[in-house]
Amino acid sequence: MGVVLADSSVVVLALPDIYRELDTSVAGVTWVLISFNLVMALAAVPAALVARRVGPGRAAAVGLAIFAGAGLACGLADDLSTLILARCVQAIGGAAAVTAALELLPATVGSERRATVVWAGAGATGAALGPAIGGILTELVSWQSIFLLQVPVALAAAVPILAVARDEASTRVIESELRRTGRPHLWANLALAMVSAAIAAALFLLVLLLIEGWRLSPIGAAIVVSVMPLAAILGSRLAPLVPSARARAAAGAIFVSGGLAGLALLPKAEVALTVPPQILVGIGLSLVLSALTETALHGRGPQAIHGGWTISARHAGVVLGLLALTPIFTHDIATQREDAIDAGTAVVLDSTVSPLIKLDLATKLGDRLESEQGKVPTLGPIFDPLPGDEPARSETEQLRSELQDQLDRGATHAFSLSFALAALLGLLALIPIALSRRVEL
Amino acid sequence: MNAAPADDGRRRGQILICVAILAGLALAGVYLAAGGATYAPEKTQDPCKHRAWSDPQSLGQIANQFSISALDGAACQLGVSRETLAQALATEENRERFAKRYGIDDAKLARAIRAGLLRAVTDAEDAGALSPLVGGPIRGTIEEIPLEQAIELINDGSSLFNSLQTFLGPAGDLLEEFLP
Repeated sequence: MGVVLADSSVVVLALPDIYRELDTSVAGVTWVLISFNLVMALAAVPAALVARRVGPGRAAAVGLAIFAGAGLACGLADDLSTLILARCVQAIGGAAAVTAALELLPATVGSERRATVVWAGAGATGAALGPAIGGILTELVSWQSIFLLQVPVALAAAVPILAVARDEASTRVIESELRRTGRPHLWANLALAMVSAAIAAALFLLVLLLIEGWRLSPIGAAIVVSVMPLAAILGSRLAPLVPSARARAAAGAIFVSGGLAGLALLPKAEVALTVPPQILVGIGLSLVLSALTETALHGRGPQAIHGGWTISARHAGVVLGLLALTPIFTHDIATQREDAIDAGTAVVLDSTVSPLIKLDLATKLGDRLESEQGKVPTLGPIFDPLPGDEPARSETEQLRSELQDQLDRGATHAFSLSFALAALLGLLALIPIALSRRVEL
Repeated sequence: MNAAPADDGRRRGQILICVAILAGLALAGVYLAAGGATYAPEKTQDPCKHRAWSDPQSLGQIANQFSISALDGAACQLGVSRETLAQALATEENRERFAKRYGIDDAKLARAIRAGLLRAVTDAEDAGALSPLVGGPIRGTIEEIPLEQAIELINDGSSLFNSLQTFLGPAGDLLEEFLP
């Protein structure tokens, strides 16, 4: 289940590579992420209904097989349409596997409540781990390897499930303890959608900031964002200490919003400054996702159906978050790029280097910006070779550092509004959390 | 569930929420205090406002200040920032893009650049960097020069001063006399 839920975020760090390799637009490549989440949101509940009808073992096994097959197609795709189509199919298989897993888990872990906690925890861990795994694979192998690696993992998970599928009756032993109800938990699912939008924004925007803004490699960015899953582990340790799911959900949403506010207020373009906000987001996502999932499932049956609603809410939130924030940050990136170039031009004009050197720099900078296609350029080559004599050399180095500072400021500030809006979204989730029925687990 | 564990559970929940609020506020507060709200590219200055000349010590520095003043003057006339105009004048391609975007034809651009150069001469005189004896002939030249030369001049003010030296011939050395 973790591999399926990690899949909604695993491609985040690979998007810049996919964008370049498949020669597409930024909006186009975003659909590699959106398509999977959208289909998961739409397919989760129908998949759960199918799982109830054919048996969770069969549904999970078939779902994993579809997920693996579509993963292979994603890895072999050489154009964006094929990749997006394969991602949609992968989401259908993933939805079947994830919802059916919730019906299978009680037989494995011993109780329905324990199954809910494990299932919710796997979801939070998968979401937090996804970007780090994707970044490492993209850098060490290729973006295709992310999908190709899912094939053996999904098939390996399907093998033990096949045994269950042969004897479906064994999985229904604990069903009697559940209250059958068709109505999903509205407030918990609404809150899930809102915090998922905020968390998706945190992951997606932070990765973009690190790679496109601060020029980190995918593996560098993966190492940086691995702070979030590590903090999520810490958050999961806190959860058993607080019995009230509503309190955990509220605290989690506040942690996530606080972290996002920190990212919106970064005082410098330094990787280390992203660590404290990531710690808050990591702790928060672990607390809030599991608490809300437990609340949505508590005392409700069939579990697969209500699990399907939570999956649907989470992925719908991711889609809405991406669709709402993408136009905002793409506009801000373009605006800040212009402001940074203007500020950089002012630095060059006000410097004491000779006018001819200034002109040469302006031309080289223009060419560099053009060739980087919107990415913040590294300024080193523009200033090469540095002047031989010492005063001119230090003057040029000073100019380079001031110019880079202006570009870094622009790249960082371009994400501020989007992070702030995501923080607001996280805080707004407190309303449905407050309205949700108190659940002591 | 009896009352004591329930109270304890509620208290833990309240503590967790308080910790979350304090952690978020502390982080935002520290980042705000460190300048997080203002970490953005420097705003460009109004080109119509006078920019003080910083004590120029050589011909090169005077030429530099002269170019900046001229850009300010021209940008003020055109209603764009000094930086936008500087980027536009860097290459032919940029100039065409600029003309299209702002609807500025060559004649209007030439008029603005000449006005900018004249302002630069006045600024240089006011700063004591140029004698009015030299300023007069420079003004006369500026009013007549074609667009391409005006652009060359605004991009590299030193060419004006070098030309003046050449024009003045043996008396060119005297130019240094008029400099501070």
